[in-house]
Amino acid sequence: MNADALVSDYLGRLEAASWPLPPERRTELAGEVREHIEAALSEAGSRDEVTVRNVLERLGRPEEIVAGEAGAAPNAPVVSVNVGPSMGRVGAVEIAAILLLTLGAFLLPLIGPVIGLVFVWLSSAWSTRVKVIVTAIVLAVVIIPILGLLAARTM
Amino acid sequence: MVSGETRNALTELRRGVLEYCVLSVLRHRESYAFEIVRNLSGAGELLTSEGTIYPLLARLRRDELVTTTWRESEAGPPRRYYRLTDAGRRALAAFVDDWGRFRTAVDALLAGTAREGT
Repeated sequence: MNADALVSDYLGRLEAASWPLPPERRTELAGEVREHIEAALSEAGSRDEVTVRNVLERLGRPEEIVAGEAGAAPNAPVVSVNVGPSMGRVGAVEIAAILLLTLGAFLLPLIGPVIGLVFVWLSSAWSTRVKVIVTAIVLAVVIIPILGLLAARTM
Repeated sequence: MVSGETRNALTELRRGVLEYCVLSVLRHRESYAFEIVRNLSGAGELLTSEGTIYPLLARLRRDELVTTTWRESEAGPPRRYYRLTDAGRRALAAFVDDWGRFRTAVDALLAGTAREGT
């Protein structure tokens, strides 16, 4: 593999490993690492294969860099394998949010989903993008019809 | 197995301490990521994978222990310079105190261990 291919292979692995990160941070991190590689190569004054391999080796494995983002141990997976990107590490807050948004909508109309949304925004496992999407869905599906019903009833 | 555990202990220590070493590098003047890395690798053991500085710097930004400014560089793209905030300076000062006590306590215990030749 030539030098440029090694770099793009490394950046590709970084991109693949960084899927759990928020999109803006993911782009930013890719840029930071790319610039680091450029700086190290221009410092070394050579772009041959051995130099590139050394630079990449000093950077560490892409998975290790991404693991640092979550504040997790470098050798622990950032998220478990079986869950989708919207389900980081599901804890009590996330379970409470899901229950309130589903069962809560029937047991505690309006109040359940509203508290559920509060839990969604308290979650540290879900990205802002996920939170915005969930909020939009809940507003559309649960809260607006209930408000509509209440409005119809008072008329 | 024992050497593996020692490695883990070192990894844990490094993770706890590295953040303050970065703050310390920035205590007199602002610096950009690559230069910070070079300063840290001067100290040897501290940064085993250079790339992990980027998540760390992102966390310091989020915690507002550092602020950043983009500046043109003589060669290559603009660089993001990191500078300590007042909160960063306080965090560093607090850690310097804590570290002194921590090191003294551990050294005292380990010195006893060494004398017994275990």
